Amino acid sequence: MIQVTQETRAGWHVVGVRGRADSEAADELEGALRAAVEAHPKVAADFAALDYISSAGLRAVLQAARAAQQRNAEFAVCSPSARVQKVFDMSGLQHVLRIYGELPC
Amino acid sequence: MLEEVVLLAVDEKTGGLRSTREFGTAYALVGAVLFDLALAGKIDTDTEVIQIIDGKPTGNTTLDRVLVEMSRRRDLNTVQDWIEHIYHRKADLEGEALASLIQQGILCHEKSKRMWFVDVERFPMVNDRPQQHVKLRLAEAIRTDGIPDTRDIMLISIAEPCGLLSFVVDDAELARRRDRIQMLCNLETISRKVARAIGRLDGTLRAQMMPRII
Repeated sequence: MIQVTQETRAGWHVVGVRGRADSEAADELEGALRAAVEAHPKVAADFAALDYISSAGLRAVLQAARAAQQRNAEFAVCSPSARVQKVFDMSGLQHVLRIYGELPC
Repeated sequence: MLEEVVLLAVDEKTGGLRSTREFGTAYALVGAVLFDLALAGKIDTDTEVIQIIDGKPTGNTTLDRVLVEMSRRRDLNTVQDWIEHIYHRKADLEGEALASLIQQGILCHEKSKRMWFVDVERFPMVNDRPQQHVKLRLAEAIRTDGIPDTRDIMLISIAEPCGLLSFVVDDAELARRRDRIQMLCNLETISRKVARAIGRLDGTLRAQMMPRII
């Protein structure tokens, strides 16, 4: 289960995600991120409060990043917790999309 | 995805089932079943563990049989456990996928004898468009630098370790895009474990073929 917040700061649309990005939450996560990249040129997914991400959650993030690429929108994943960062490292996600240690705004 | 893996393995000229790494294709079939269950929202994985999210039937006989078995065997809970467990059903997986492709009018089934007593089975293409479509999708995902569709990432990542991508693009292009392919293969836990299982099997076979030095 996840909770999603949205705000705009210094030209970036920040999608804050809290909770567990698993199979149950994957559609909601992908939907929120996709809607953001369709409406804004610069989107940061703030994962500071994301406790866990499964393969389904990872696919949701990837497909949102794919939608951003297709629209030439900027998309970054920011502030992942150590546990989530470990999953990103194992899957080599840093080779596919931008991952920042902190929010860019 | 199971049918797409089998389609990649069918030689469009002879109807024979081909693979550059015979045992690898069986592992690719196992990976395909697990990906099909993941795409159907029935299972999810993290970096090691596999979880059943929804045990209700999908309507596909092969997937439902595996799903029922997964629900019963709570002692097996890692992706690796299940890859090795389902691997023993590889003949069923291939046979059922071929039967489905025949039923859909994509392949036909021919039996013949070689040297009067060796049974030879072939699966000539009746309709080559589905195979061409799969190949085109995968070639596009390999050649371009964008993020591919989830399904194409999954298919590339299980086709690569068993050598099926050499039937999609030529060897020179495969070598040129090696880093890209490896990057796509690494994205999914199931694929990483499939590649590891194939690597382990290769190691075992090599060790068995080495002459014994006493």
